[in-house]
Amino acid sequence: MESVPERISVQTNVLNANQQTALANRERFANEGMLVMNLMSAPGAGKTTLLEATIKAMQGKFRLAVIEGDLQTDLDAQRIQALGVRAYQITTGTTCHLDARMVARALDAFPVNDLDLLVIENVGNLICPASFDLGESLRVVVCSVAEGPEKPKKYPVMFNKANVVLINKIDLAEISGVDLNELRANVREVNPHATIFALSSRTGEGMPAWTNWLQQAVATHTSAAMVK
Amino acid sequence: MHEISIAESIIQIAEAKACEQNARSIQVIKLRLGTFTTIVAESLQFAFEIARQRTLARDARLEIEIVPMVVRCVVCEESTQPLHGVCLICEECGFPLEIVSGEELQIEYIEVDSDKEKLPWSQYQNEFQSRPTS
Repeated sequence: MESVPERISVQTNVLNANQQTALANRERFANEGMLVMNLMSAPGAGKTTLLEATIKAMQGKFRLAVIEGDLQTDLDAQRIQALGVRAYQITTGTTCHLDARMVARALDAFPVNDLDLLVIENVGNLICPASFDLGESLRVVVCSVAEGPEKPKKYPVMFNKANVVLINKIDLAEISGVDLNELRANVREVNPHATIFALSSRTGEGMPAWTNWLQQAVATHTSAAMVK
Repeated sequence: MHEISIAESIIQIAEAKACEQNARSIQVIKLRLGTFTTIVAESLQFAFEIARQRTLARDARLEIEIVPMVVRCVVCEESTQPLHGVCLICEECGFPLEIVSGEELQIEYIEVDSDKEKLPWSQYQNEFQSRPTS
């Protein structure tokens, strides 16, 4: 019996299933009127410390919660909860990124109504999370000066997809021998449209510019949602 | 190693399409892959060989067409292919460049064996039972 090969047109994006779920998440977030931030960086860039400092600046003014993504442990969620903020830990096991379905499942276990801001801290990784839309409306990428000035050039897709790039640990710029202007220029090269803040979440230098910007973004987002 | 997730998605999409057409097996999956994605073709081929086991694509070949990154200046409308690294600022006028291509991750078509109607019923059953239950 001869088999007859037959060509069937597909024309489908491989990430279609993730995008459909991300779309549903986005609609859910929009209905609740909250701003959702996807926070991404390499491991050790200081996402959680930065998030703690950001929360302290926003606490009392906005209702917020955090979803943490890590391969193992709920240490990050514990750190956020220690500030009196609700946090839910997703442990991905071996998966190097969060996807929209993991977030959708988290939302079933972790109700997020009555929020102004939901932060999703992604798995520390500058590659894979760039491809997976979670349904967020704000993509923030953190890179620390201690990683050297070339990270944006080496991971252009991740930096290209960011709305905001936070250059962290500027207190270590001198000792790391990193020129902040060079790092800024490297971010611009791969993402001419990104809003860039240089700061140190440890010393607090540069933090107010970022947290004021974020408060403004949350206030604009929630008031726009109320009009709707 | 997110290429595994990508390979699984490719197979899910291809299987769904093949089942729609009552195909017995998938022989070829044609993919267009841009160079401005986070997917490495070689790693994807490796992941595909693992992910295709016990699926309709178990004998399938993954044909990857690499789509180069092309950028265009929004002002002087010059199109270029960045060869060494990515710079999205126009060298001529300093304005931002837009990405024309290079972000593709698209299944174009599949080629299937379409002789299913000639198969005896017992082979259908074997086909069905050999599939993982998860």
